[in-house]
Amino acid sequence: MADNATYSPEVTFIPAGTPPHRARTSAAPAVLPLALGVPVVAWQALFFAAPLVFLIVITFWQVKSFRLEPAFVLDNWSRILGSGTFHSALIHTLVVASTTTVLALLLAFPAAYTIALRLPIRLRDLAVAMLVVPVFSSYMLRIYAWQIVLSPEGMTNSALQWLGVGPLPLLGGGFSLQIGLLTLTLPIAVLIITFALSGVDPTLIEAAENMGYRRSRVIAHVLVPSVRPALTLAATTTFLLAFGDYVSPLFMTGSRPPTLSILIVDTVKSGSQWPRASVIGVAMLVVLAGVFGLGRWFVSRGMKR
Amino acid sequence: MKRDSLTRLSRTLQYTWVLALFVFIAAPMLVIIVFSFDANRFPTIPWGGFSLEWHRAIFNDEMVIDAFVNSAVVGLGTAVFSTLLGFAAAYIDYRWRFRGQSSFVLLVAIPPAVPATILGMAMLAFLSRVGLFGRTETIMACHVAIAASFAMAIIRLRLGELGADLEQAAWNLGASPFTALMRVVVPFCKPALIASFFLSAAVSFDEFMIAWFVGGVHETLPVRILNLLQGQVNPKINAIGTVVLVISITLVLVAQRFVGVKAGRTAATEPP
Repeated sequence: MADNATYSPEVTFIPAGTPPHRARTSAAPAVLPLALGVPVVAWQALFFAAPLVFLIVITFWQVKSFRLEPAFVLDNWSRILGSGTFHSALIHTLVVASTTTVLALLLAFPAAYTIALRLPIRLRDLAVAMLVVPVFSSYMLRIYAWQIVLSPEGMTNSALQWLGVGPLPLLGGGFSLQIGLLTLTLPIAVLIITFALSGVDPTLIEAAENMGYRRSRVIAHVLVPSVRPALTLAATTTFLLAFGDYVSPLFMTGSRPPTLSILIVDTVKSGSQWPRASVIGVAMLVVLAGVFGLGRWFVSRGMKR
Repeated sequence: MKRDSLTRLSRTLQYTWVLALFVFIAAPMLVIIVFSFDANRFPTIPWGGFSLEWHRAIFNDEMVIDAFVNSAVVGLGTAVFSTLLGFAAAYIDYRWRFRGQSSFVLLVAIPPAVPATILGMAMLAFLSRVGLFGRTETIMACHVAIAASFAMAIIRLRLGELGADLEQAAWNLGASPFTALMRVVVPFCKPALIASFFLSAAVSFDEFMIAWFVGGVHETLPVRILNLLQGQVNPKINAIGTVVLVISITLVLVAQRFVGVKAGRTAATEPP
């Protein structure tokens, strides 16, 4: 089982490019792969790929008397890319997502370090299981809960008042926004780094310790470099989630100032300016692709050294 | 001596940090549950006393019941179709080498990486154009496009552990590829199939952006909550939230029971 990662079992007995059992399937060699593959491709094409392609197409369309009409105009692009609202929302969203990324990595690494290298295996498995749950459940509800906790008449302020401290404006600023975005991103960041750190060869750490390295140097010179791809993955994932999130900006700051996601939803739900909303969406995807490209470049540069 | 106490201090700090992390993660869920039983209209301290009033109220709220039924239907459909598509995609990737293989895998794997706001808008624009807007089936179909990614990942991991000789033995014994698939591969993948069933249901049960965009008048439970949240303070929200929390956490935990997610190694395991 251990060397599963080093070879792929199928390669060892199926020569690439040839059917594995020509004799038996010679009558209709491609029936099974087609029967399995066509529904998958069709489904993903219709409900995923086509909508995204259409999103790009309608950025060139026009809205005439509240109806979307095919055209080829660059007006939507020039309007959005030239608009001050878009610029400030873009910068705001970039700053917010970058802040979340830095915070998430700083907060996640020590926790992942302890979970992966300090906790006994049973507790480690429990911690991982508890981290997986919030990734797949009830994000919106948890943001609502933070709203209750942080609001002016909410729990924290009632408790503070009881202690004689005046109500603090906890909700509606960068602080509450980061609380919300960390609620979304921190479990995933911790999980990714925990998996990577548990995979680090213990003899590597021992060797460094035997050479008299202190803990801080072991972390800086052995652990961090060997989990560099995972740190990059955690960073890009965190950025992606924070950059595209709609719920935290909506409930933690009341959409002020708006992020790009807020701008999209407002443009779609309030008016019929589909093409312009699509321009914002495509611009966001370009930014995210850039961030992923940057991440890949960063990892490959680290591999070469 | 000094080194020892320093080490102890450092360990204490490390464990405290992990504990703080879990408090941060669990606190919002506990707030929802605790205050759903609060007699006060607005959730605050001090607690207004125990009450089942809001839990009772949601059972008389027809919109909530409708939304719950929609969510259940969409979730169940998503679970079935994601698992089927996820299995097909994982098996193709495991079994055959072909040109465009990485594009094929990406087509299934990548949807969760696209922000739901953008994907929701794109789906709404395209699907309303082809006349699929505003149906429960459409919400389900869109959820499948996302959840199949997780199903494929789980099942592909399990397939990686299938001994290469097992399927081959079945062929040598005269089984057709289809028979070998159904008699050997599918039973071997059973825990992963069950896990992806429940995880896909959880993904669908939690998704609101796409459901909100493409559902039209058909609200799922998260969409109902979103609409309630944008209105006035409503003490029913905590009660609905408690129900949703219990269901979605259960789904994820059941999924995890069938696929042991363990740091260091990830293995699909048969539960005892």
